[in-house]
Amino acid sequence: MNSQSYYQIQNDEYEIFQHAVQHRLPVLIKGPTGCGKTRFVEYMAEQLERPLYTVSCHDDLTAADLLGRHLIGPDGTYWQDGPLTRAAREGGICYLDEIIEARKDTTVALHSLSDHRRTVHLERTGETLTAHEDFMLVVSYNPSYQNLIKGLKPSTRQRFVAMSFGYPEASVEASIIAHESGIDEASAGQLVKLATDIRRLTDIDLTAAVSTRLLIYAGKMLKSGCPARKACLYCVIEPLTDEPTTRQSLLRLVDAHF
Amino acid sequence: MEEFIGKIWDRWLTRQVTSDFTSASVNLTDLQAELTLYYRALGGAPGKTLEPADARKVRLRRTGMQRVAGSHQRFALPWQDDRSVRLPASLAVFSSPRLNTSLYYWLVAMAARLPQVSNWFRDNQQAALALTSSYPGLNRQYKELVAELMALRPPVDDIPEDLRRRELAVAQALREPGLLADLPSSAFDCFPVWLWLYPQPPTLFSVPVATTGSGPELEAGERSSEQQTLQQRKQAQRIDDEHETDGLLVFLPDSLMSWTEQINLDRCQDDDSDDDFEQIANDIDLITVSRQRKATAAKVKFDLDLPAAENDELCLGPGIRLPEWHYRKGRLRPDVCLLQPLLADEAEPVSLPAHLRQTSEEVRRKFALVGLGNTRLRGQPDGQDLDLDAWIDEYSKPLRDTARQNFFLDQRKTHRDFCCLILADLSLSTEGYVSDDCQVIDVIRDSLMVLAEGLDQTRDDFAIYGFSSVRNSHVRYQLMKNFGEPYSDRVRGRIARIKPGFYTRMGAAIRQSSRILERQPQAHRVLLLVSDGKPNDLDQYEGRYGIEDTRQAIIEARQLGITPYCVTVDECGHDYLPYLFGRDGFAVVSDPTQLPRVLPRIYLNVSTH
Repeated sequence: MNSQSYYQIQNDEYEIFQHAVQHRLPVLIKGPTGCGKTRFVEYMAEQLERPLYTVSCHDDLTAADLLGRHLIGPDGTYWQDGPLTRAAREGGICYLDEIIEARKDTTVALHSLSDHRRTVHLERTGETLTAHEDFMLVVSYNPSYQNLIKGLKPSTRQRFVAMSFGYPEASVEASIIAHESGIDEASAGQLVKLATDIRRLTDIDLTAAVSTRLLIYAGKMLKSGCPARKACLYCVIEPLTDEPTTRQSLLRLVDAHF
Repeated sequence: MEEFIGKIWDRWLTRQVTSDFTSASVNLTDLQAELTLYYRALGGAPGKTLEPADARKVRLRRTGMQRVAGSHQRFALPWQDDRSVRLPASLAVFSSPRLNTSLYYWLVAMAARLPQVSNWFRDNQQAALALTSSYPGLNRQYKELVAELMALRPPVDDIPEDLRRRELAVAQALREPGLLADLPSSAFDCFPVWLWLYPQPPTLFSVPVATTGSGPELEAGERSSEQQTLQQRKQAQRIDDEHETDGLLVFLPDSLMSWTEQINLDRCQDDDSDDDFEQIANDIDLITVSRQRKATAAKVKFDLDLPAAENDELCLGPGIRLPEWHYRKGRLRPDVCLLQPLLADEAEPVSLPAHLRQTSEEVRRKFALVGLGNTRLRGQPDGQDLDLDAWIDEYSKPLRDTARQNFFLDQRKTHRDFCCLILADLSLSTEGYVSDDCQVIDVIRDSLMVLAEGLDQTRDDFAIYGFSSVRNSHVRYQLMKNFGEPYSDRVRGRIARIKPGFYTRMGAAIRQSSRILERQPQAHRVLLLVSDGKPNDLDQYEGRYGIEDTRQAIIEARQLGITPYCVTVDECGHDYLPYLFGRDGFAVVSDPTQLPRVLPRIYLNVSTH
């Protein structure tokens, strides 16, 4: 675990998370890509000195991937705990990143762990496991992400203490970028101004907003002497769009800023 | 011979007086998509579109040669109003295309910063100052453009004192924006300042002089290629024709000598198909339209164009009142629209037309692969359960491959919990031709049938409706297939009977469709809009009002958990559709004849992942 995690507290997220920990409540973090959800969870895990099991959810993530499965070894079959089961058994934070990406039947496996029961039934071994007192479930997703098939079921959502994250305020974001990338505050501020303009296009001309993470990448490149135009093109524009027209227009925007 | 000499003379004269660098000309249409995005990014109202500006009269002090050539009287100047940003259709101000392109971008940035010009001289300077101080790159760009522009300004040596003072003030304001507060007065306008926006004409407002495809003025059967009349909007004003004359309106005898000065013809009632109208309209600065639109001829044409509603369809009930979004007030106005559900109850059942059989077969085959229920996969490298058979098989082999461990059973759930409401635009613009013998409406009709064949195969529940409108009081909402109703020859019969007519009040149709979809039990509800153009109607729905209302209706649909998706054959769709449906919420089909083939594919892409 990285003991040097930097996280700038913006609202009351630290306080709310602490209260949730105290009452052993599961936490849901909503927010656009790259706004600092994962970093916050890492930071909290360090503060609480608990192990963190992060699972990046995807299309094919099954309940078995979370709970565990039988494997075949030299002496026959044996049971292997999944990250969720391990966190529940040994104590720790299980963080399911972008849970909306996981298959719906998978998220149902979380239900008994996320309510007052704090248990999980492992059908294949016949074991009903009661979670360790230090176990905590944290999930996150990006609400602007639209997919017809996917979506978090209301019955799943309503088991969590939910927090909405957004991109930080301009001055806070600039100081985060300056800290993370090592560039001066003025250049960081210019990157944030560019991001503010690009974010106006979110959900209209762009699917996703430009993340703080991408701005940090651009900042790092600027720091090492890469020209601003190139840094923004490769760290901000290209990751955002494949459309030649959009790309051209955004490049013009970069030219306006730098 | 005379004509030949005339042409040479004209060419020579034009070359003598022109101040444009025509070889370096840049067209708005080529940059439109980029500029629209740039405008939105810089904070311009996202509901506005970019349009070519009309030529406006400017009182310049002209040289003798310019007088002889009749040039330098009208310029397409950049300005904007609530509906759109008007930019010159092409720019040839500078000698290089790069600078002309740069000028377009600068003007768009100005438009985003300066939505309204009340004091032309002061506001433009303030906007330029604000832009250059907060955008270092724009500052450089501005300085370069100003330097180039200064070299092109007319000389100030031998012009009247008042005009000279004015010219110098403008030059200084360009170089050091924000320094001067007032523009010296002069009898003449100064030469167009290409870096500034011009005010919206206070007493004039813009109305379309020619519809681009869906007005009642459109003759039935008119080809789409012939509908490309005036691409740019004209300055226009409405006047009250108190005399209620049938032919000439308020007319001044001395203006009869020249139509370029004043032409008071009541075009509303003119049924003559004079080919020169377009040319004349192009040349006129200001078009005056009578408010007396109760013209009988227009009304008669209206009914002739359209199938009489009471003859072909059964009205279902007294109508449904629906709200409409007023973007200026920022609120919904309740019960503004009256929507009339209609049913073609006497439609003869028809079987699938022969020309669609092959496409339908293909689509059915594709759709058959979707939604097969649970699938159990054996011998997987990963899965929920052990595949003991696979394990025993592997272990019973004399030579075992220890690297491969495909001993798992995986179960994939592919059950579809879907419903879809297809909403087809049946406005008069669908009467346009996409090929010599095929109209947009034919393509839409075929597409609906083919898609319905596919949907029938997937067992996704679906409904098909069509819509058109005449103002807010008559939004026609035509039922072709309801949810729960089996897809049958009767439904095909109703689809086969759809006819184009009226306008496109999209918001009301979307709201009603959302209401229907909301009652569906499925987890995933799709509203698939098949359209051929922008929202538009006879009243204020034309332009930004319609776009904002449609956007609001789509937002409301999303809030109900419905996924709206638009498939359009409008090539200009890229300008306004991102604002309505979002980046991933629409598809533009560039070849409309392919729609029957493409629509099912789009549906599959949207509904499977």
